[in-house]
Order: sequence, then C-alpha cells, then structure tokens
Amino acid sequence: MSLNDRLKNVFVEALELGEDVDVENLKYRDIEAWDSLGHMTLVAAIEDEFDVQFETEQVIDMSSFKVAVDMLEKLGANA
Amino acid sequence: MRLVADSARVIDAATGAVLTGADLSPADLYDAVPPGAVFARTGQTVAAVRRYLGAFAAGRPVALLDPALAPETLAELVRRFEPAVVTGIGEGGAGADPGELPKGYVTGDVLGEAWIRENAPEHQPHPDLGVLLATSGSTGDPKLVRLSRQAIVHNAGAIAEVLGITDGEVAPTSLPLFYSFGMSVLNSHLAAGATVLVIEGGVLAREFWAAFDQYEATSLAGVPYSYEMLSKIRWTPAKHPSLRTLTQAGGKLRDELIEKFSGLSERFYVMWGQTEAGPRMTTLPADKLAAKLGSVGLPLPGGAVSIEDGEVVYRGPNVMMGYAETAADLARGDDEGGVLRTGDIGHVDEDGFLWLKGRTKRFGKIFGVRVNLADIEALVTGAGEGPVAAVSGSECVVVHIEGVDAGRAKEIQSLLAERLKLHRTGFDVRPIDRLPLLSNGKINYRELS
Repeated sequence: MSLNDRLKNVFVEALELGEDVDVENLKYRDIEAWDSLGHMTLVAAIEDEFDVQFETEQVIDMSSFKVAVDMLEKLGANA
Repeated sequence: MRLVADSARVIDAATGAVLTGADLSPADLYDAVPPGAVFARTGQTVAAVRRYLGAFAAGRPVALLDPALAPETLAELVRRFEPAVVTGIGEGGAGADPGELPKGYVTGDVLGEAWIRENAPEHQPHPDLGVLLATSGSTGDPKLVRLSRQAIVHNAGAIAEVLGITDGEVAPTSLPLFYSFGMSVLNSHLAAGATVLVIEGGVLAREFWAAFDQYEATSLAGVPYSYEMLSKIRWTPAKHPSLRTLTQAGGKLRDELIEKFSGLSERFYVMWGQTEAGPRMTTLPADKLAAKLGSVGLPLPGGAVSIEDGEVVYRGPNVMMGYAETAADLARGDDEGGVLRTGDIGHVDEDGFLWLKGRTKRFGKIFGVRVNLADIEALVTGAGEGPVAAVSGSECVVVHIEGVDAGRAKEIQSLLAERLKLHRTGFDVRPIDRLPLLSNGKINYRELS
C-alpha cells in the first residue's frame, strides 16, 4: 500500500470520516471532526502507524493531509 | 461605565489591521436596530469583538453565543428571549449553521449578516444588564447568566490588577470569546489599555503561533485541556521569547503540569471562576504558587470567600444579577445581592487561600449506574409531586416525597424506572410528612442520608 493510501486510512479511522469526505484535500479545522481533539488523536494515530515521533513544530505545522504526506516522506517513513 | 481604556488596541492577525477607540467600540452600530438585547454569534474574529464592544458602548445587553450552537437551539433562544437583533450570522467555522431566518425578523447588516427584529420586543432589558452568557457551553440549555455592566467592568479591572496587566501586554485569543474565561481575557486587557491579538485556530494551529511570534504576544490563557495538549506535544514557552505569563482556569489542572509549566515560564497564574461571577473569583499569585500548590488562591480585590455548610460562597460586585430563561427575565434587576453559592466544596487556610475539594453536585448509584440526584428530583416535580429530596442509598436511590400516599409512591417508582431505564427496585420511594431543612431554607440532605 502506498504511503498516501496508508495515511488516508489513518485519517479515516482517527477522525471517523465518512465515505463522502475528500481526504486528500482536507485541511485542519475544515470539518468538525478535525478540531483540536481530533488533531491530537490523528497525530497519535499517524505516529503509531508509521513508527515516527513528531516534534512540537511538526504537530503544529500539520495543517493538511498534503502537509502530513510531505512530512512523512521527509522523515523517510516507509510505505 | 467604560470597559475599554483609551490606549486599548485590538489587532487582527489575519489582516494586520489595528483598531482603537470608536472603531473598536462603534456605539452607532445598532442605530437602525429596534431597542433591546443583541444576541451575537461570536467567533474568533475582529468583527465579533467590535459587535460586542459596540453593543456595550451603546448600553445594550449582549449575549455572546457559540456559533456552533445547533440551529434549533439558536431558534429556541430567539423564541424565548426576543432579541432585537441576532448578529454574526456568518460567524463560525466548520459545521456552524445559523439555521433559518426566524419569524418576525428581517435580514440586515451589522458588520456582516444579521437578523433584525421587525418590532421592538415587548420586554425591554434592565438598564444595568451588560452581558448574557450560556451556563453550559453548547449543550443547548436555554438558561443564560445575567451579568451587570458593573460586574463586567469591575471584574475586568480586578483581573488586570491581580495579574499585573500593563498597557504593554499583548494577549492572543486562545480561548473562545463566548466562553466566560475567553471573554475575561479580552475584557481585562482592554480595561488595562493593553492589546488583544485576535487569532483564529487555537494553540494547535500554525497560524496561531505565527501570529503570536510576529506580534510578540506576552501571555497565554488556557484551560486544563489546553495545557494537557501542549504538554503532550512537548511544547515549551522557550520557543516564544515574548511570552512571559501563562494563566490557567476552567477546572483543575494536575499539580504535576502546574509545576512543569510554572517551571518553564516567568509567571504562572492558577485562577478560579464561574460564569455566574463574570467569571473570575480567585487568583493564586504567581510567587505563591510553589508554597500553595493546589490552591486556587485569594479572592479578587472587592470579593470575599467564605465556607458555609462546606460549600464555597463568594461575595462580590461581579456576582451575576441572576439567571434568565425568558425575555421577561431580562427585565429583572439584581436577584442575588452579590452572593454566589458556588456548588464547590472547599476550605480556606490560615493565610486566606482557598482550596477546592470537589462539587456538591450529588450523585447516586443504582446497580453501578451513576445517576444525578437532581435529575431524579426534577422528574418527581415534573410529575406534579414534591417537595422532594433524593439521596443515595446502598445500590439504590432513596426518594423522599412530601404529601404522597403509598399508592402514589409506587406510581412514582414506576415512572422513575421507566424514564431512567433502570429496574424499579433501584428506587426506594418513601412518603415523608416534612423534609428536614437547614437554617437557610435549603433541604438538609445530611439528615436524610
């Protein structure tokens, strides 16, 4: 599974997203589910799935799905 | 009565615009609106701040409402309280929906879309009334707290005094402005002639910290959950050199985190309040934090704390005028006389510091299920019986009701079982001639349990 798809699954599960949500274009606070509480859940789920640990700045910078993809690629997370 | 000092400024982080004076508090904003209260859907925007301050300057009471309120809850508030105008129809982020234009209102503009009442409401609010706040956030309880203009102004000044807020301070809007703590951060800084930086997004948003650093914000206000989150992401004030003061209220933060964040910051203030007190009641001075860790501190200037039957009672000019559930209630004067029974249990130590021990809110357990005793009493009164007192028994709730016979007691037992979806044997309903009372007229629960 590609990094993109794996991350998509994490988003869907952590934020309990419906099928109609365009995950790849999602931004922080675009939807009710991705609020501060959702963000904490999401960050923890991504860290678990990709076995990484984010720095404070990265947690705060993770403002969209696309940013999260870039970040994981830079961290060398394996697909 | 002025809330905003001359040198007070509000900066819009999104645009860089700086507002002061009559731009910030436009008293003429509501000239075309019939007399009466302003109900303001209030997001983290400069327009929302101006609508609030404009209403205050014009002498109109203003209800600060969560823009995420369900449309049916907002409709119910409008039906009950007959505001002259509902502002901020376009406020709120994801999922915010104001609903339909209510009957008797037309669409207009008050710094953005507003619903303006066609005719002046029948009940005109009391001239002392300044701010209305919901007691329960967005849960939809239509009860509002009535705060006088004097309470708002006094509390703002007292907070500024005890926190040492000078006109050089810059406070970001880290908490919702419709929430009493968020409102008090705004008010206290404006009263001190300081700067408020309006930022959307909260402490996990990139924009928040970008603006924080750009405008050299000097303080951060948080509830326990804010500090739990910041701790989890290993945030530290050291990365933000302009930040000097952290404040915390809105519930008990773990002592461990108080110690951690106070160690990382120049000043850390633990505070205690309730919306009913507009909201601040006590503050723990930063230099007493280590010696009094776990205390919520000393009463604000002008306020006093006492313990009555174990309950913390606050007296001060910032205590609410009372609650409001209808438009007619908005016309009421002061019902409370500056006394607030807080519902918190606590004690005051030899130095005058208040320590909280929990809520008086009473719960019982039925077969392991936690039930709110006040809810049970409300069901009994709702069935036309009472006075009633529910107390906790062993694996059951004992319900004492005045003036019922054995047959009616059985009916009430069935009703409670049905409504709370618990087996009837969980309720021991007992007729009683007269409930025991305390000297203040309240039910003596201790004698019943």
